Amino acid sequence: MSETVLETKGLTKYYGSTLAVDHLDLNIPRGSICGFVGRNAAGKTTAIKLMLGLLKPTTGSSTLLGCDSQQLRPAIRRRIGYVTEGHRLFRWMTITALEKFQRSFFPKQWDDRLFADMIEYFQLSKRQKIKHLSNGQRAQVSLALALAPNPELLIMDDPTLGLDAAIRRQFLQGMIELIMRQGRTILFSSHILGDVERVADRIVVIDKGVLRANCSLEQFRAAVKKVILTFKDFVPDEVNIAGLLHCRRTEKQLELILVGTSDDRIAACADTAGAEEYNIVKMNLEDQFIEYTAPKNHRRLFKWEEK
Amino acid sequence: MRFLALLRKELRECLPWLLLAAIILLAIGGFILRDAQLHEWYRPSPSRFPSGSIMKWYDFTIHPPLSPVGPVLLLTSIGLGLALGARQFWVPHFTRTWGFTIHRSLTRSTILCAKFTAAIIAFVISLGTVWLALYWYSSHPALFSMLPVKRVFIEGWLFILLGLVVYLGTALTGLSTARWYTSKIFGLAFAAIVIFPVILQWRLGWAFALIIISALILLSQTINAFSEREF
Repeated sequence: MSETVLETKGLTKYYGSTLAVDHLDLNIPRGSICGFVGRNAAGKTTAIKLMLGLLKPTTGSSTLLGCDSQQLRPAIRRRIGYVTEGHRLFRWMTITALEKFQRSFFPKQWDDRLFADMIEYFQLSKRQKIKHLSNGQRAQVSLALALAPNPELLIMDDPTLGLDAAIRRQFLQGMIELIMRQGRTILFSSHILGDVERVADRIVVIDKGVLRANCSLEQFRAAVKKVILTFKDFVPDEVNIAGLLHCRRTEKQLELILVGTSDDRIAACADTAGAEEYNIVKMNLEDQFIEYTAPKNHRRLFKWEEK
Repeated sequence: MRFLALLRKELRECLPWLLLAAIILLAIGGFILRDAQLHEWYRPSPSRFPSGSIMKWYDFTIHPPLSPVGPVLLLTSIGLGLALGARQFWVPHFTRTWGFTIHRSLTRSTILCAKFTAAIIAFVISLGTVWLALYWYSSHPALFSMLPVKRVFIEGWLFILLGLVVYLGTALTGLSTARWYTSKIFGLAFAAIVIFPVILQWRLGWAFALIIISALILLSQTINAFSEREF
């Protein structure tokens, strides 16, 4: 289980003078379902394209299934499924034509029954042309095309983008279908943290091209904490505690975002700061992610709110 | 099998342009030949030169009926080259299907080879076949009193090759990530520049050599651009 299927070392990409990915060091072990999360323009798509050898890194390297991404042989590519951002398929093809086209690249691997099952599950007609499908239906076809060859590694670039809740759930169910098969590894980027929470066992957080977290989901969930210190009279501007990410002051409270700080330390800190009481607020993954990636001096949407 | 699948896909994408080019050439070329056949304008008629009138040398400059179809073939060939180059190398950029095309169990050179093969087949099937048919039709002694010389037929094939040069130029421009006012325009500009010496070249051998050399230059640049390009 500890074998690494995807590894990047100091992966960096500049577009002109714009830094898209900054020294990304990443390891994805075999059999993991990895949610690759980040805000818009965080560098997720660029990182994925670098990993697949579709883009060339400015510096650094990456390997997929032990092969350098820039020299992925056809035999290696055959073992890697890729769902492109926006599910870009050949619009003029019918689902049947696309199936036939894709199947010819995987003569031994292609699972006809799995593809047919998925198309039926998603209630699609094989005669439909891609251009006549909705965004959600195209996503479903994309997923079926990616899963039918039984890839060892499946990389999906924001596969649930633009899908409604019901279709997203169906899509995730399809992903779980693959997860059920042993030894399969999935890396999927997403904005929707609920999806990551539902299926992933590992989380990679990227922010402005920089890797911010690469750990198991449980570790991330346990590490990022919101603590509210309530004071009776005097509220200090900030407190000194290890792992402090953000500190926000209100009239009677201090709101702390902490990473990797133990409950004992929090209690000791509250005591030292003279807080009347402290509460560790339970956050969902989305809140944790937002707090974790929020800029230091995050300004309000409307400036008048700051007054 | 994988190559054939890709070739079929490329051919299918070229099909509308292939048919359009064939229809244009067949319609205009057919009309010119039919018109020539009905009115026999390609040779001096005694009725046009009554006795006693002064006849100048250009009154006798006559051409086989297929000759006027040459410029139509040239324009159609250039148009087809532009259309196929754009379809194969520009449209995937706008529809963002490069990722889906490139990430498969084929090398980039094989993918490019499938595109080139499809383009050559498209040129041969659409323009080559129609040109051959027009030549065959105009060579009928029962229909035309003046038969086309072989040179006209060969010139037609040179025009078809010129279309392929334009196709390669369009492909190179489509693959370039530079700005329009810099090196991006090189492919198309080079192809456009090649057209003039070829059509002005009296010797077929020189024209052929010019086309081959320019095609090789564009081909090597296109192969390099495709293998180095980021998608």
